Amino acid sequence: METALTPAMFQVLLALGDGEKHGYAILKEVEEQTDGDVRLSTGTLYAIIKRLLIEGAIQECRHRPPVEEDDQRRRYYRLTAGGRQVAIEEAERMERLIATAREKHFLKRLKPA
Amino acid sequence: METQKQTLSERFYRGLLRLFPFDFRGDFGPEMEQAFREQRAHVQAGKIGLFRLWWETIAGIFTTAPAEHLSMLRQDVRYALRMMRKNLSYTAVAVLTLALGIGANTAIVSVINAVLLKPLPYQQGDQLVMLHQRADKLGLANIPYSVPEIQDYRQQNSTLSDLVEYHSMQFMLLSKDDASRVRAGVVSDGFFGTFGVKPILGRDFTPADDRQGAPAVLLLSYEYWKKHERGDPGIVGKTFQMNDREHTVIGVLPPVPQYPNENDVYMPTSACPFRSNPKTIANRNNRMMSLFGRMKPGVSVEHCKSDLALISSRMVQQHPDAYPKEAGVNTAPVSLRQELTKGATPMLLVLLGAAGCVLLIACANVANLTLARMAGRERELVLRSALGAGKGRLLRQLFTESLILGLVAAVLGVLFASQTLKLLVDFTARLTPRAREIQVDGYMLLFALAAALLTSIVAGSVSALYSRQDLAAGLKDGNMHSTAGEHRVHARDILVICQVAFSFLLLVGAGLMLRSFSKLRNVDPGFVPQRVLAMTVDLNWSKYMNKPELARRIANQLLDKIQSQPGVLAAAISSSYPMDPDNLGGWNRTMLVEGHPQREGQKPPLSSMRSVSPDYFKALGIPLIAGRVFTESDDDKVPEVVLINRTAARHYWRDEDPIGRRVSFDQGKHWVKVVGVVGDVKEFGLDQPPGDETYLAQAQTRAIGSIVVRTSQDGLNIANQMRRAILEVDPQTAIPNVETLEHARNASMASPRVMTDLLGIFAALALAIAAFGIGGILALTVNQRLNEIGIRIALGAKPGDLLAMILRQGMTLVGIGLAIGLASAMGLTRLMKTLLFEVQPTDPITFAGVSVVLGAAALLACYIPARRALRIDPLRALRSE
Repeated sequence: METALTPAMFQVLLALGDGEKHGYAILKEVEEQTDGDVRLSTGTLYAIIKRLLIEGAIQECRHRPPVEEDDQRRRYYRLTAGGRQVAIEEAERMERLIATAREKHFLKRLKPA
Repeated sequence: METQKQTLSERFYRGLLRLFPFDFRGDFGPEMEQAFREQRAHVQAGKIGLFRLWWETIAGIFTTAPAEHLSMLRQDVRYALRMMRKNLSYTAVAVLTLALGIGANTAIVSVINAVLLKPLPYQQGDQLVMLHQRADKLGLANIPYSVPEIQDYRQQNSTLSDLVEYHSMQFMLLSKDDASRVRAGVVSDGFFGTFGVKPILGRDFTPADDRQGAPAVLLLSYEYWKKHERGDPGIVGKTFQMNDREHTVIGVLPPVPQYPNENDVYMPTSACPFRSNPKTIANRNNRMMSLFGRMKPGVSVEHCKSDLALISSRMVQQHPDAYPKEAGVNTAPVSLRQELTKGATPMLLVLLGAAGCVLLIACANVANLTLARMAGRERELVLRSALGAGKGRLLRQLFTESLILGLVAAVLGVLFASQTLKLLVDFTARLTPRAREIQVDGYMLLFALAAALLTSIVAGSVSALYSRQDLAAGLKDGNMHSTAGEHRVHARDILVICQVAFSFLLLVGAGLMLRSFSKLRNVDPGFVPQRVLAMTVDLNWSKYMNKPELARRIANQLLDKIQSQPGVLAAAISSSYPMDPDNLGGWNRTMLVEGHPQREGQKPPLSSMRSVSPDYFKALGIPLIAGRVFTESDDDKVPEVVLINRTAARHYWRDEDPIGRRVSFDQGKHWVKVVGVVGDVKEFGLDQPPGDETYLAQAQTRAIGSIVVRTSQDGLNIANQMRRAILEVDPQTAIPNVETLEHARNASMASPRVMTDLLGIFAALALAIAAFGIGGILALTVNQRLNEIGIRIALGAKPGDLLAMILRQGMTLVGIGLAIGLASAMGLTRLMKTLLFEVQPTDPITFAGVSVVLGAAALLACYIPARRALRIDPLRALRSE
């Protein structure tokens, strides 16, 4: 990635983690996966989509859902292999961060399963 | 109802999307609308949810749109820089020509701003006027004022709040260690207050200083104080010996433009031995002062004029002896600003016009280069436009490119302008005292920036306008090489025509100046200036005044001493010398010619006077035409005799012999005999026609003003030797000015020379840019018609025909440009009339010469790409398709 991955961009990548989605679906997914904490506007979302497209983290996908579920005005995006890698690296970085935070007692230790 | 509401909100959303860059909207607009539609459809019921959606949407657009614009700009700049690097030679030419254009304009606009536009650096400068006393019927425009006249105007006027007098004289200033000549401004009390000028050190003159018999005091000019007193802060109170009196410095003036003379020191009228003489004060005909006034608030120059005219008509009635009816004496005010800048205005405006032309040509060139480069990228542009890359995007790209070019050029231009400004200041200083106000300032930078923006917009929109129209055409046609861009071909043609026309204008301007200058240079000055040294010699005149025997002896001693120096061929004492910068205007007297009674209403003959010792004519190489020159025996013991010049001889005696005739300079009280006629001399400048000249014998006038010496070697080499010799005779002598007459002659041509040089540089620049433009266009055409030319060659077209075809295309444009340039030059060169000497503004030789030069340069510019066309390999040309 040429530019730094912002939290909102990461959320978009995560939203696409379980399959291709169109714009409104991404907005909904981000809202749901953050319990309504992060609400992206269309402007912000498409600025992010543009960035991610340029970086090659996502791509528009050609095959569309069955006609009865589709709307011609929508476009669908999916994660590329590179994009998934970026998201994984970001998640791992966060995991390490969390681990450090636990060691320093910022968070409670996880009980052994 | 519901659908209508939806359309309204959709329309509003679409409006908001306009805040995004064109391309972004093109890429994502419809999708965003769709997403928003879905958001709206699923929004929780209730006003709050809807409000929240709008709020978040608007805030999101307002934060992301500027960022998108910025990133696009960054991308455009990067792309533009890459394109510029890729076409380095094009870029260099565009930037350099633009920089020269912007630089030249910036420099000249700085000068014009300081000299013509800015208010005078005096308090309420627009209220200041200079009074001109004129004798309309005698053709005299600037007669000085006498003391009784000044008193009349001061007492009787109702429109001036102040009326102050001024004259300038040269005096010897003696300090402990040396003697120097200073130019002293003699002013009445309140002079500096009228201008709103306050001394930066010490105090101004007071009414007490101006009273008869008051102790003599001096104010120093800023420049004199800096240069001769090294800016000594303790200067107030220092004393100088001048005119056999002690003068005390009371203050130092700030740096302000001084007019009519740049004076070293100022003194009150009481300190000037001439002005304070009771005879001067009483004599209405003893005129030597200039008058400056400040108009009362709300008074116009017109109003002031009628006020003063009333006073002068009253004076003419009351003193018929002082103002003969046939003279038509009156007084009129001229605004000081106009007075200060009248000499510079025409030249500066012509230079501005020339610089403007260069900028326009450079601008056309940049537009042309951009167009040419776009043609090279035609395929890419057509494709991008077809794919919906957006015309807006392309326009943006073009403007970014030309803006970067413009800004780089502006930076270079300002550098160029600040480097050349000194040259321009020196030039302007010859024309107006306001030259000192010229400086590199914020206005200059602002102007350069504005010029850069303007050129970017002009160049950018010219190319954008045409690219926009024909991209679609190019796509429809398929064959981009030959027919795409009909419009653009026209645009480029028009640009080339403009370049040729403007270049023609500039070349004609420069050509006229050049012709005028060469005429001026070839004027016979009437003397042989080579190896003649002229020295201004200022004796401490108070020592010799009223002591004729002493004055005669010192003159003889000086001449003997100079003549005994090695290398001196001839030497003479004279009151002044030709083209003496301190004697412009000369010493004139009305002359009565015996046997030619002056008729009623006729202008009394005025003759310029000079007193010279016998060898003056030999030293200067002035030919004797009839009679004899002065001899040693023409001294104060015998009756006075005079010599006249050829013009005077023709003027008064036509075919008769003037030798032995008599003239009078005191209305017939004394008559003096003409003993010889000598050749005409251009006394006051090569462009001035010779007037009537009379020479008096130095031994009879005893005037000593300068010494002229003809030497066997280069004049200035023995200058120091001469200086020493003069000081040995009288160490209290100042020799402020030593120059060769050749230098004096060249100096008199300095302004036309600089003007010629500047216009010449501009014209050469224009010619080069235009030639480059024409050549570039043709090269491009050849490139675009590569396969057509290839086919023609393959089909057996003769090289001569091909050459002619391409040359015809180029030269047709040049011909149209020449015709337009010719027509506009016919009209515009009239504005240069005052700058030309013996050359008509529509001088056919100049016009023809310029046409030939420009035509030849254009032909050469066309020939180079044309020849390249002939060398095209038809096979390769066809394969390239």
